[in-house]
Amino acid sequence: MKRPLVIGLSILMLALSLPLGALAADFKLVVPLPLTGKVAKFGEIMKKSFEMAAEEINASGGIKGSQIVLGFEDSTGKPETARAIVEKLIEGGQPVIVGEYTSACAKAVAAVAEERKTPYLVVASADDAITQQNYRYVFRQNQVNAHYADAFVSFMGEVVKPKTIAILYETTAFGTSGADAMENDAKKLGITVVLKEKYEAGAPDFKPILSKVKSLKPDVVYMVSYVMDASLLMKQIMELRLEAKLFAGGAAGFAIPEFIDNAKNAAEYVVSATLWTPQLNYPGAKAYAEKYKAKYGDYPSYHGASAYASLFVLKAAMTGAKDWTTEGIRDGMKAVDLQTAFGPVKFEDRDGYQNQNFVETLAIQVQKGDFQTIWPKTHASTPHVYPVPSWRDRR
Amino acid sequence: MEVLLQTLISGLLLGGLYALIGLGMTIIMGVMKIINLAHGELMMVGMYVAYLLFAWAHIDPYLSILVAVPLLFILGVALQKYLINPVLKVDAILPENQVILTVGIGMVLANLATIIFKSDYRTTPVDYATKAWYLTDLWKDSPIELSLSFPWTVSFLFAVVITAALWFFLSRTDMGKSIRATAQDKDAALLMGVNVERMRVFTFGLGSALVGAAGCLFLPIYYLYPDVGGQFTLTGFVITILGGLGSTVGAILGGLILGIFESLTATYLGMGWAPVGRFVVFVLVLIFVPGGVASLLRRRRFGK
Repeated sequence: MKRPLVIGLSILMLALSLPLGALAADFKLVVPLPLTGKVAKFGEIMKKSFEMAAEEINASGGIKGSQIVLGFEDSTGKPETARAIVEKLIEGGQPVIVGEYTSACAKAVAAVAEERKTPYLVVASADDAITQQNYRYVFRQNQVNAHYADAFVSFMGEVVKPKTIAILYETTAFGTSGADAMENDAKKLGITVVLKEKYEAGAPDFKPILSKVKSLKPDVVYMVSYVMDASLLMKQIMELRLEAKLFAGGAAGFAIPEFIDNAKNAAEYVVSATLWTPQLNYPGAKAYAEKYKAKYGDYPSYHGASAYASLFVLKAAMTGAKDWTTEGIRDGMKAVDLQTAFGPVKFEDRDGYQNQNFVETLAIQVQKGDFQTIWPKTHASTPHVYPVPSWRDRR
Repeated sequence: MEVLLQTLISGLLLGGLYALIGLGMTIIMGVMKIINLAHGELMMVGMYVAYLLFAWAHIDPYLSILVAVPLLFILGVALQKYLINPVLKVDAILPENQVILTVGIGMVLANLATIIFKSDYRTTPVDYATKAWYLTDLWKDSPIELSLSFPWTVSFLFAVVITAALWFFLSRTDMGKSIRATAQDKDAALLMGVNVERMRVFTFGLGSALVGAAGCLFLPIYYLYPDVGGQFTLTGFVITILGGLGSTVGAILGGLILGIFESLTATYLGMGWAPVGRFVVFVLVLIFVPGGVASLLRRRRFGK
């Protein structure tokens, strides 16, 4: 008896939902990220953050009524794989690309995106060259390597006032551009670079190179590394009792919680450049950080915040776009001017960069096993600790 | 002076661990006449055994040698018995098809580890990780400051003890003599009543066990992820060539030479040169000393 009614009702429901569905189809967005391999840790932080953002956007009605359906493809941190994934996505008609982590991968993806006239939003890759190629379709939300250390450099200039600096960096696009930037900054401040040396990422023993650094007695030791090298470097610096006024890192490996987990007490007082911290007063920054911590047990790093904010940037771009073609979204991106949890986002052409967002950078310091924002003073969560005690006096 | 001494200390400690990696590889090489390219991955398995014991029961990585060694021995025996031996028996188009098989085994192990453990980095944060002895603590007015890392030193001493035990086993026991006989001349050993088949299986187990021990020794001073094996396979390969194929004394010397050479390169040329230096040594040895260190020793009537 009841069956015809149920069937009738469901047909009615279907009929009603079809035009709605036709109005706002789901928006499929596949994100290339390193989910396995050496930099998977960063990919994981970003993936979680993308998911959180998509969930929030969908809950508040999606983009113009379209729900975001996220997918992920594992690039393993290899440029050729990232390239292949993005080729496939563009072929499949995805009108915009967001993602990737390492500079080498982002460079490869940017080249494809430009070639295929598809907008690409870079969220966490720092190599300056990515937005210096006169690319029309490549946008970058995070700060470039040349400015990564701005806050740290001003901290050095105003507080540490060192005479000499030693720079160690890994042999990657990120490491090289970070070291070059620091060399320039040091010259501007009149600091002598006593050593600038690259190392093999993943090496078990840094003690030979660190002995050399020790014999040069630099005031500051600055390192550009991904995560495990950062911990090993600090552990072995402690082991050798390499004394300096300040140990500092150029973001990446020095700015994520794993660094403290692995280096333990050797991480104490290390200062690092970073692009974002959970203690910032940008709208939504705290809420995102707390939500992430509640869900995954650790505060996110700047990579996560940037990934989280990027979907809101995409939403703004697509809301303002006249249509959702590659051209439409590209123009929408160019028009974005948004306050996000990652800070203000606006893509500008200046100083030889195109479609680059210039955000204020920060310096953090490990204090009592936690990251604290110490510079610039307007954003500081606690005062900085300087001078740092010598290794001999710790314990 | 200080820098040179500190570099030599680092090189020696690293070399001792390298020697242990090279030893397992060279023993397998001697008996089976194949390069085992899954060697680093077997080391990775040993590291994960130690890591799990630490994570679950908080067992010190050095103690987990007692668990990892027998486990890796069994794994090695099983690989030889059920995978490599059958392949040895088949006539293949490729003359060295068992080498390719070991590459495959290595890939499978690395990918299994990725599936089980994800690609996260793991460490065993032991309390003594950054503990070290300092010259100035012992001798107040020392003109130079040298440091000796506690975990590196312990790992090195373990490597020395294991190496000594292996030497004793090979030169003083029946089983060891049979293995050496098989390595020197398979057919003669067969005629003398040595069970060559069994020796092969046992040797692969022994080689795996040695590198598993090396894994446990590396864990406190290094870190762990599924693809960690590749670089150690390469290291072992270079040492095996450097030491002379199948020579245990050669492998020990080869490991020490490589460790010290890498450290000196890092200090005086730059660390970026370490991988280059490694292969320069590799090529030079192949060209000028094809028999490796072992052949030089033989010329001096030193090694067997």
